[in-house]
Amino acid sequence: MSDKKQQVSRRQFLNYTLTGVGGFMAAGMLAPMLRMAVDPVLKESGQGDMANVGLSVDDITTEPQKVDWKITQVDGWYESEVNRSAWVFKDENGDIQAFSPVCKHLGCVVSWGGSDEYPEQFFCPCHDGRYYKDGTNVPGTPPLQPLDVYELEVRDGILFLGDAVPREGA
Amino acid sequence: MKWKKTDITQYTEAKEYIDTVLIPLMPFEMESDTHLDVNAFQYEWTMLLVNELEKELTGRMMLLPPYVYRKPIIQEQELKRIDSWAKEIKKQPFNHVFFLTLDGGWKKHEEVLPGTLLWLPGMKSGDLHSADMYRFIRDQVEQMSELIQSYW
Ligand code: FES
Repeated sequence: MSDKKQQVSRRQFLNYTLTGVGGFMAAGMLAPMLRMAVDPVLKESGQGDMANVGLSVDDITTEPQKVDWKITQVDGWYESEVNRSAWVFKDENGDIQAFSPVCKHLGCVVSWGGSDEYPEQFFCPCHDGRYYKDGTNVPGTPPLQPLDVYELEVRDGILFLGDAVPREGA
Repeated sequence: MKWKKTDITQYTEAKEYIDTVLIPLMPFEMESDTHLDVNAFQYEWTMLLVNELEKELTGRMMLLPPYVYRKPIIQEQELKRIDSWAKEIKKQPFNHVFFLTLDGGWKKHEEVLPGTLLWLPGMKSGDLHSADMYRFIRDQVEQMSELIQSYW
C-alpha cells in the first residue's frame, strides 16, 4: 500500500530537482553566449558608429577648433551619455584632421596654442607636454606618442567622427 | 585620477606626476524639505563640476571622495575634522589640496582651511541637463581649471 503511494522516492525527487536546477543554470550561462554569437547588434553597442558633430566642412579652417559632441556608451553597468571632443582643422593639403585632445602622457586635455611660448603647438597644462600641429609629440616633453586620430567621414558637407585611434610612436 | 581601482593603480605607478587633490565639500541636512531639495541639487551640481574638472586635469589631479558635513553651522569641530583629512592626504606626496564647494559657509574659514578653497556661487534649482546649464557649468570648469593651473 505505502509503496504505491510513494511513487517518487526521496532520492529520485532530489535527482529530479537537481537536474532541473542545473539545467536552468546551464541555460542561464549559455543563453547570453549564444546571443552574443548570433546577435550582431550586441557587438556594436553604440561604439564604432560615426556621430554628427554639428560642424559644416566649410567652417573648418586651418586654425584648429575644438568641437564637442555626445555619444551614448554602454559602460559595464549602465548606459550613459559621454562627452567627446576633438581638435579639427584643415592641414596644408586641405585634408581635414581631427585629433583627440587627450594627452598621451597621463590623459589631461590639451589645447591648441595653450602655451604663450608655443602658440603653434598643442599644449598639455599638466606637465607641459607638447605636440606639433600634425599631432606628433615634441621630443623631450613627457608624452611619448602622437595624439590619437578620429575616424572621420563627410556626409553632405557635414563632419562625422567615430572613434579615436592611436598612431605609431614618434 | 578618480577614486577607483584602475586609476589608483595608475597613481601608485606615477606618483611623481600627480601632486594635486580635489575634494568636494558637501553639506548634508535633512531638516526641511526645501533644504533637502537644495542639498540634493547642489550635490549633483558639484559632482558634475568636479567630474568635468577631473577629466581636464586627470594626469595631475586626483579627485577624492566627497567630504560630507552637517549643516547649518561649521563649527570648531568640523575644522578639526577637515584638518585631519588633510593630514591623512599628506601621507602621500601631494603638494596641492583644493576644496571645491557651493556652500558659502566655508568662505569665512578660508584662512584656517588646510588647502585652497574654491567657492562657487550656485543656483538653488534648475535643470542640470539643459543646454544652458551645460554651457554654464563648462564655463565654470574652464575657469576653475585655469585657477588650479595658476597654482602649479
Ligand atoms: S598629462 Fe599631458 S604632459 Fe602629463
